[in-house]
Formats: sequence, structure tokens, C-alpha cells
Amino acid sequence: MKITIENKDAMSVIRLADTSVILAQRLAEMCSNGLTLEEDIALSNISLDLFGRADELYKIAARIEGNKFTPDEYVFHRNEREYYNIKLVEQPNHDFAWVIARQLLHDIYAKELFTQLSTSSNHEVAGLSQKVLKEIKYSYMHSHDWTNRLGLGTAESNERMQRALDHLMKYVDELFNFDELDKKFIPDPEKLKAVWFSEVDKILGESNLKRNAVAPPSMRDFREGFHSEHMGHLLSIMQFLPRAYPDAKW
Amino acid sequence: MDKFEQAFNELIEKELKIEPRDWMPEKYREHLIRQVSQHAHSEVIGMQPEGNWLLRAPSLRAKQVLLAKIQDEGGHGLYLYSVAETLGISRQEMIEQLHTGKAKYSSIFNYPTLNWADIGAVGWLVDGAAITNQVSLQKTSYGPYSRGMVRICKEESFHQRQGYEIMMQMAFGTPEQKEMAQDALNRFWFPALMMFGPHDKDSAHSSQAMKWKIKIESNDQLRQKFIDHTIKQIEYLGLTCPDPNCKWNEETGHYDHSPFNWDEFWNVVNGNGPCNQERLDHHKKAHNDNKWVREAAAAYALKTEAQVA
Repeated sequence: MKITIENKDAMSVIRLADTSVILAQRLAEMCSNGLTLEEDIALSNISLDLFGRADELYKIAARIEGNKFTPDEYVFHRNEREYYNIKLVEQPNHDFAWVIARQLLHDIYAKELFTQLSTSSNHEVAGLSQKVLKEIKYSYMHSHDWTNRLGLGTAESNERMQRALDHLMKYVDELFNFDELDKKFIPDPEKLKAVWFSEVDKILGESNLKRNAVAPPSMRDFREGFHSEHMGHLLSIMQFLPRAYPDAKW
Repeated sequence: MDKFEQAFNELIEKELKIEPRDWMPEKYREHLIRQVSQHAHSEVIGMQPEGNWLLRAPSLRAKQVLLAKIQDEGGHGLYLYSVAETLGISRQEMIEQLHTGKAKYSSIFNYPTLNWADIGAVGWLVDGAAITNQVSLQKTSYGPYSRGMVRICKEESFHQRQGYEIMMQMAFGTPEQKEMAQDALNRFWFPALMMFGPHDKDSAHSSQAMKWKIKIESNDQLRQKFIDHTIKQIEYLGLTCPDPNCKWNEETGHYDHSPFNWDEFWNVVNGNGPCNQERLDHHKKAHNDNKWVREAAAAYALKTEAQVA
């Protein structure tokens, strides 16, 4: 099965959907590995919200494309190079600091992005954005609180959080290399970038953490379907059953 | 018998609830701590065999349903740890007892989940067996446990339906899917039946627990109820019960079953099941790897409390 995406708006929606589903899958890995039961349940909740969001976004993209493919086909039958999520969200759960740092950087991005999209001329996108903003605010509260705790907790937690941030920051650059599709789809891309940097700096500042400068990364862009090595492993696990039994219905 | 014991006995006699501040015999308290903590640990360890297929769940819907279900099990663990805490033991102590092997959890979770239909079989048979027991426990004499069970049962019956839905999908699917469904049933049938515990005549703790109305129905009664109910579901799926002696008995009005392999049961209980070591190691690892996070949270709480003060 060769999945195609013809329409430019559909492609913009697919990018959002891919980012949601890949982050959801990463967070699902934390299930039964939480530091307490309460935190296990919290991470599962955020993961569930993201799977739900992805599902709705794929449905919108599918409708734009004339329902040639189902959401499950988009998820389970595309290869690495056909996925358009930001690389940040495919990074592994190295430790809890990585989970939180990745989530914080994502949530600040998602909060402003979906705020802008809630006035999109595409009514389906606008409607969904208003709904998911509520979820994003919870997730943001969670990642913000934990950034405070880890940054200001102990010397070890501060060090681990700083290391995670320093590593993940190299995947931020591409978020703001807007292409023509972005400029058409996102109401105010430059504001997205400005809000992101100012919010990240504020939260890191209050948490005794720093946004260290990263040398401009020499990396191809997610918009062209380029990924880190982690992505192939994630997909091989996620897609195993539908790929191994293509005739089966699940 | 002093007046406290008399009051306790009267409450049990009248089928009224014992509450945390009521006087209770030390043995009653010990029995409950053992049973409730074992129940809590079972919910939490039970997240692992299902989690084993979470990342491979084959559709967006299946993923969301399974993740929500596992999350519920974690929530049940929380309720139950809280119930045990009303009896004077902390969650931390219970986790230590789990890690040292002093506290047990349901042996069924020491079996591996080897194909996607196992996730169906776990919901259908394992949660199904658990509900049969838990519906009865809604009437248990200890108030907090009884009320916890009412909430838990509501969610468990959803879990069982979720499991059966997967079984239907598999049993009515491609020949390969049906084969997976039969394989799952074959492996989980006897372990699920042994979840009800030893036969009444061999059950060490049962008789006292029934006198205290902690337990309302016996192991064998509950097991028979479950078999009678489940055979019809196996037939509907077009699968074969792995016990050739499981036939309707006109005289007893119940289905018969072959003798169980209690040697296997005790061997698994005593630590030699397929995954005993893995389940405990997984729990210990998650707990120990995150020690630094709990320390950070505690340090942060102290600092911010100091600021407020």
C-alpha cells in the first residue's frame, strides 16, 4: 500500500497528526514505568489525549484527501521517510528529565500553535484546536510544574534536566524553518517563534536552568520526512501487527 | 470476650460494615492487610503483561482502549493501597514487602502475553475471573474495601467486554487470527481457573475469612460460577475449550472439569513461573531508577513550603 498525500492543507494537518501520534507512542512507553502510580496515570493521560488528537487530525486530513485512506492506514502503513513529525518528539525516554524536557519544549510550541489555529479558516481545524487547547493547558501545567521541581529540587535533578535540555535543544531549530505550507497554514509563524523563545526562557529562568546556545545543527528537515535513527525502531514496533498480517482487521 | 469484641461480632453478625476506627481483632486486621495489599500489588503488576502489547496495539482505537484500561488498573492499585493504609500500613512498606517477596500478587501475572489475542484473553478470562470474585467482595465486611470494590467492579466489567471484543475480532478474523485466539485460550484457561485459589478443603485462610465475612463465597463456588458462564462464550466464539472433560453434567447442573495441575500452580506461586523474576525486576527498576526524581520532588516541596511559611 502506497499512501499519498496530494493536498497541501492535508499535508499541513498530517504534520500535526504525526507529531501527536509519535509523542503519544513515546509517552505510552512510560506506562508501568512511572516513578509513582500517580505519575504513571498522569503520563498515560497525556498520551491518551495525544492519540485522540492524532486520530481526529488524521480524519480531517483524510476528508480533505477525499477519504482515500483511513487514519489507521496513515499510522500503520507509512515508512519513516513518509512521516512528517518534528524530530523532537521521537527522541527516547532516556530518563524522566528527558520525558519532561521534551514535553515542555513541545507543549509550549503546541500551545501557541493551536491557539493560532483556533482561528484557522479551516473550520474543522479551528474547532478541533479549541478543543485540544484545554488538554494542552493541562499537559503544559504538568511539564511546567515538573520543570520547576527538577530544576530547583536537588543538584542531581538540576544537572539531569540541564543535560536533557542541552541535548533536545538541537531539535528545536527546525521547528521554525517555516516553508510555504507553514506560511499558508499557520496564521502568524513569526509570533509562534517569538512566543516559544520567550516562554521557554521564562520557565527555564525561574527553574535555575539555562537555554544554552546550540551550534546550528546540520540536519535535514522533518518537512521532507527526515528523522533521527530512533524513528525506525519506534515504527517497527508500532506497525508490527498490521504489517505482518496485512489481510487482518483489528 | 470483652465488650469491644462483642461489638465487633455483632456488627459482623448483622452484616454491617467494620470501619477503620472500629475495634477489630488483630488477626482480622492482619488478614485484610495481607489480602488488600496482595490485591493492590496484583493490579499494579498486572499492568506489565498488558503493557507488553501496548506499543504494538494494531489500531489507534486498540491503543487508546488498552492504554485507558491499563491506566484504570493503576487507579485500582491506588484505591487499594489507600484501603490498606486505613489499616495502618504505608504504601512504602507495602512496596518494600513486594520487593522482598514477603507480599505476593496474583500468580496469573507471572504468565507471559505472547500474541495480541492474549490481550483479549487477559481481559476476558483474567479480568472475568477477577470480577466473579470482586462482585462477591462488594459485600465484604470491611467498609473501605467494600466501597472500593463497588467502584472497581464498574470499571472491571468494561475491561472484560474490551477483552471479549478482541477475542471476537480474532476468532471471527483471518485463520491466523483465529489460531492466535485458540492459542491464547489454551494457555490462559487453566491458570485463570486456578486464580480462584485452592479447593475449599485445601484453602488455608478461607474458613476464618468466611466467618468474618471478608469472604462471602468459597473458592470452588466462585470458580464453578465462572466456568458455567464462560463455556457459552467459548462456544459463541467457535473456539474449543482446552479441557476435554469440560462437559455439562445433568446431575449437578454444572459443567465438569478435569483435575487441575496444582503442582504447577504452587510452583508459579513460589517463584518459578515463566515471568516471576521479570515482573519483580521491572517494578524494582522503575522504582529505583526514579529515586532521584522522588528526592527532587521532596526537596522542592520543602523549599516551597519554607517560602510559604
